Amino acid sequence: MNTDYDRSRTERVLSLALDLGKSMIKCGAEINRVEETVTRIGYAYGMKSTEVFSVVSMITATVADEGGRTHTQTRRIYSYSINFDKLEQLNALSRKICAEKPDTEEARAELEKIMVPSRLFNPIVLLGYMLASAGFAVFFGGTLMDGIATMPVSVMIYFFNSFVKVTGASRLFFTALTSALSGAMAIFFVYIGFGTNADMIMIGNIMLLIPGLMMTNSVREMLCGDLMSGILRLLESVILALSIAVGFAIPIYISGLLGV
Amino acid sequence: MDLNEIFTLLISGVIGTVGFSILFKSNKSRVFCCAVGGLLVTAVYLWCVSITDNLFFQNFLPSLFATVYAEIMARVMKAPTTPILACSIIALIPGGRLYNTTYHFVAGNMEAFDSELISMLQVAAGICVGITCVSVIVNEINRHKFKQIFDKD
Repeated sequence: MNTDYDRSRTERVLSLALDLGKSMIKCGAEINRVEETVTRIGYAYGMKSTEVFSVVSMITATVADEGGRTHTQTRRIYSYSINFDKLEQLNALSRKICAEKPDTEEARAELEKIMVPSRLFNPIVLLGYMLASAGFAVFFGGTLMDGIATMPVSVMIYFFNSFVKVTGASRLFFTALTSALSGAMAIFFVYIGFGTNADMIMIGNIMLLIPGLMMTNSVREMLCGDLMSGILRLLESVILALSIAVGFAIPIYISGLLGV
Repeated sequence: MDLNEIFTLLISGVIGTVGFSILFKSNKSRVFCCAVGGLLVTAVYLWCVSITDNLFFQNFLPSLFATVYAEIMARVMKAPTTPILACSIIALIPGGRLYNTTYHFVAGNMEAFDSELISMLQVAAGICVGITCVSVIVNEINRHKFKQIFDKD
């Protein structure tokens, strides 16, 4: 019976590289960045070859060490949310790993320190939601009052987004639901005289929901050669855009019927 | 467009950009950099709107500009490009057109729906091609560097 539980170095390196890659995808990194990072870490620890393939929902890599043994591992990514601060720290960590080649456990401890889940309620982020929606409501032609009227709606969007992030509920369904509620709130606000253009209030809030970053990233990935991942991301963003459209269509349609 | 209107657009564009850079949880030291990016991109966009009616070029040039700005600032601030780019470019995202497309679809104005949908795609294509033009070149340079590092070993 094998009592040697100490995993081989190759396995630990591969495991570290993939966990770092997974964390990067979870924070919203581009796929070629992730593949490059995993490859670089493999090379840094002296692997003879590192073959990586990644899409937005999975990374798989095979490394061959000096002794000719090969190891393969896979990571599955279920959800991601953009967090540029963590992404930057992860980039710094991967650079550090490549430069200093620390012990894998040491590097892993640092990775875990970065990936500590952020606070559930973050008033600064909420402020970001409010500024973004208000700014763009005015940008697209609304009045100042329209901008202010987007703020309560964006608070609602923030709480729904946090809910989806925490519970892992269906993003598609909740995007549609959030859109429908924001549309209804915008129309209601204008009805009671808080803001003047319901469409501008809705546009401000659409900017929060629209997967614009995802869409631009997807096309960029496709044109840079990561076809698979680009197609998956594009499809996801188109479906999300459709669910936003469906969500907003409902209150617009009903308000049209009621003649509000 | 009078001066007042331009001023409103610039200010609201910057506020929106700052909002998004907070929402994407950018590092605090990057928020200012993103705000400047948002201001410049909005300015370039307004300039493009004044010189051409072509939706593709109205968005292609600002997005080209944003990518160059982000690549430069990333080198200067020793930060990754994506966070700066994603925030600076956000003002170009066609949120208003998505709304109009939906609105015309619901209202049954199929001709208006078609033209809005096509213009939304034109805008999206402009943004993407603008980013890609620059990032393909940068990628090639990076790959060249990457090769050099490992050829030396």
